[in-house]
Amino acid sequence: MTETAKPTAPIWCPGCGDFGVMAAIKRALGELKVPPEETVLVGGIGCSGAIHNFMDGYGFHSLHGRLLPTAVGVKLANPKLTVLAIGGDGDGYAIGLGHFVHTLKKNVDLTYVVMNNETYGLTKGQASPTAPLGFSGNVETPFDAPLLAMSIPSSGFVARGFSGAPREAGQLITQAIQFNRERRGFAFVEILSPCVTYNDTYKEWREQVQNVDTVPGYDRTDRGKAIAGCLSTIASGRIPVGLLFRPSDERLAPSLDRTLLPTVESAPATAEISLDANRARYEKLLAGLA
Amino acid sequence: MTTTPATDLSTPVPSERLPPSVRRGGPRRDLSVMIGGQGGDGTLTVSDLLGRYFHEQHLYVYTARNVLSRIRGGHADASTRGSVEPVWSQKASQDVLVAFDDEAVRIGQAELDPEGFILGDHGSVNEGPERLYLLPLSMTAASKVGNGLYKNTVAYGALSHLLGFDEAKARGVLEGRFGRRGGDALQKNLSAFDLGRTLAREQVGEHPLFRLEPGTNTRSILTTGNQAAALGFVVGGGRFFAGYPITPATPIMDHLTRWLPTFGGVVRQAEDELSAINMTIGAAYAGARSMTATSGPGLSLMTEGMGHAGQAEVPVVIVDCQRVGPSTGEPTRHEQSDLFHVVFGSHGEFPRFVLAPGFPSDAFELTVEALNLAEKWQLPVFLLLDENLSEYTQSSEPFDLSKVRIDRGKLLSPEALAALPVYKRYLFTEDGVSPRSVPGQRGGMGQTTGNEHDEWGHVSVNPENRRRMMAKRLGKLERARADLPRARIYGDERADVGFIGYGSTYGPIREAQRILSGQGVKSRFLQARTLWPVPTDELEAFLGTVQRTFVVEHNYTGQLALLIRQALPRAPVLSLLKYDGSAFRAPELVKRVKEARP
Ligand SMILES: Cc1ncc(C[n+]2csc(CCOP(=O)(O)OP(=O)(O)O)c2C)c(N)n1
Ligand code: SF4
Ligand SMILES: [Mg+2]
Repeated sequence: MTETAKPTAPIWCPGCGDFGVMAAIKRALGELKVPPEETVLVGGIGCSGAIHNFMDGYGFHSLHGRLLPTAVGVKLANPKLTVLAIGGDGDGYAIGLGHFVHTLKKNVDLTYVVMNNETYGLTKGQASPTAPLGFSGNVETPFDAPLLAMSIPSSGFVARGFSGAPREAGQLITQAIQFNRERRGFAFVEILSPCVTYNDTYKEWREQVQNVDTVPGYDRTDRGKAIAGCLSTIASGRIPVGLLFRPSDERLAPSLDRTLLPTVESAPATAEISLDANRARYEKLLAGLA
Repeated sequence: MTTTPATDLSTPVPSERLPPSVRRGGPRRDLSVMIGGQGGDGTLTVSDLLGRYFHEQHLYVYTARNVLSRIRGGHADASTRGSVEPVWSQKASQDVLVAFDDEAVRIGQAELDPEGFILGDHGSVNEGPERLYLLPLSMTAASKVGNGLYKNTVAYGALSHLLGFDEAKARGVLEGRFGRRGGDALQKNLSAFDLGRTLAREQVGEHPLFRLEPGTNTRSILTTGNQAAALGFVVGGGRFFAGYPITPATPIMDHLTRWLPTFGGVVRQAEDELSAINMTIGAAYAGARSMTATSGPGLSLMTEGMGHAGQAEVPVVIVDCQRVGPSTGEPTRHEQSDLFHVVFGSHGEFPRFVLAPGFPSDAFELTVEALNLAEKWQLPVFLLLDENLSEYTQSSEPFDLSKVRIDRGKLLSPEALAALPVYKRYLFTEDGVSPRSVPGQRGGMGQTTGNEHDEWGHVSVNPENRRRMMAKRLGKLERARADLPRARIYGDERADVGFIGYGSTYGPIREAQRILSGQGVKSRFLQARTLWPVPTDELEAFLGTVQRTFVVEHNYTGQLALLIRQALPRAPVLSLLKYDGSAFRAPELVKRVKEARP
């Protein structure tokens, strides 16, 4: 066996919610028995985005906010890989928001895990797009990423977990990766992950989270009803968690990599590119120019 | 220029009003036709048809277009040159101007040859110089073909008579272009063509005004630099492309969208250039040969990604089709002002190569080379084009598959990887390049990162490690020198006048050399093909063979000259600059050389 890089010890503050998220992701990958060499972890920039350094697999540290295009490139180059993009709320909902919406639209078979701590941990506690009014001088009303995701017509898997409940979070991530492996599309999982140093919300969140399975009449298979159910849960002062939206299979938008690369065998990263194998077809292409 | 009322159509043109050359009906070996009108008038179609006809007459062809960044309206013109001798740029003046409106006359006549003439659309063109002849192009199209839009094909028909085209071949070109469209497009175009010929015959009689001699160039193909780069990408094994539409880079994406999927490749139009470069990086990391193409504004957005690829040692090719900048600048016009950006852009320091082809077959070759170099040296490679090279259709040597080779450098196969006791993504090696595994392979796991890192890819701020990693990466610039594409040299062994240029300045420089040679002036031209790292040895050797050297480029600050002076501080080079949005033409270069004080 070739000796490879070992995961390094996490650099997170003791008690940081990100530990719970990592445990959840590890549990999911283990449960699905995804071989580490087929796992690509694309990290964003932030405390959260360093996670791939602490795990087995192929890790890629992207630029701040650019983890999703990077992950899309990886998956479209080789759809056999299990690809996870993992980053923070600043990374994904501020500087990278355009890519978030467009990755939902592209609908590539990868899982995006956002560790939402309502703040920029790594740059020391500024307000993020999800920061509540009043936090660190914030005067802008925060937005809700799962609601945004559900509003994109091609979204088909939207979930929210809480790192204080890593078992449940792990189950959501397992379902998300399974969704990808069945080539059903992009899966988005936000995990509430308290920043104990700049925004310790464990207590509030523990009290506020409510699994949508316990919301009377909640229907996760219907986009309108799921959005309405989340809105009313929020209006009652709770945070909806669990699998928020997952329509029936026949209502899922087509996944991009399945559309472009129906058989995973010949993909950009694995295509035969030697001249000899392609010569006849290249000659034909060039002859078309004369 | 004096203007006179346009010629009355009811009477034939009195022959004394025809310019002397026209009366002579003399043979031409180098002819340029400009077609001007409003965007949407079909000027580009006429230009394409003429180019195709010239090509089939075995002439050398060069077409140029001057369009605004909008689809309809606004002045647009295109010129097509056909020549028995090789040409690689626009002719200094136009022999014929086809004008669909007064503005086209006003703009075009500045370029009109003293012996040239203007063919105006009666009813739309009201005044012009003496040499304006009016034919009812749009009226005929409207009344006899049923749609005024066919005026462009009526014009093509009229030109085919006025310029003494072989009628069957000229018709054949139309058939080639519209035959596949189906419906009645071909029929209507053919009748417009016949009507145009009849109109012209009624005006000037049976004898054509000029007679363009056929050529002997049976080898060339008609293509553009963008098309060449797209093809080079395909045969060079490129299989992933992401871009965002921008003039003049878009055609590369368009071509690849058509071609790449049949080879198992993927082309994506991204949501912006930030996404395009990072998708390209992701795909390259996963093991696909990957490229993106953009122009100035998009390049600015890709800038953070450029450094990321350099630091993480991910092999990507970035095509920059330069246009007038900064900001939105002039999207459809010509400039070479991004050199500093591709050489120095992005924060921090990292290695990169900048390659610059001069003509389409060179773009084909260098795109393949860029893919090889990127993987071999594991860094970003820029392919620097410019508007004219990207977009202008011209005669080109056919693309040569026999020169294509694929070198993936230290990419590890699963077997090679399994044979290694230890795999470190950023292993220190003699040449600074570490063996590379891609995801999916056992035993190749680890971190690929833009953070400073140790050999494993683990984040590190250790000063000693930093020094070594910097030397590993930046040292590639020196160690790769022997691998980088060599300049090409044209002209006399020793010369009074030296030229250094890159990109499409190749054309006017080579034609200027021909003019100088006719005047007994010796000249020598170094066509730079690697711009970064600066090819110091090549430049030094070249400078030793010439008296005075002119660095020809399209920008205000003399960027290439500055790079040369930085590498060779005492290099006696003078800048010949142009930055008005248009390309040099050969006589203009000759004039500027002569004006420069010795
Ligand atoms: C282009 C760019 N701008 C700014 C930064 C600085 N920066 C690093 S992390 C970060 C915010 C991180 O917040 P978040 O994504 O929520 O991650 P967290 O640390 O909270 O997990 C910022 C602004 C950067 N690295 N790159
Ligand atoms: S600063 Fe906050 S988010 Fe960052 S590691 Fe510490 S607790 Fe976690
Ligand atoms: Mg955060």
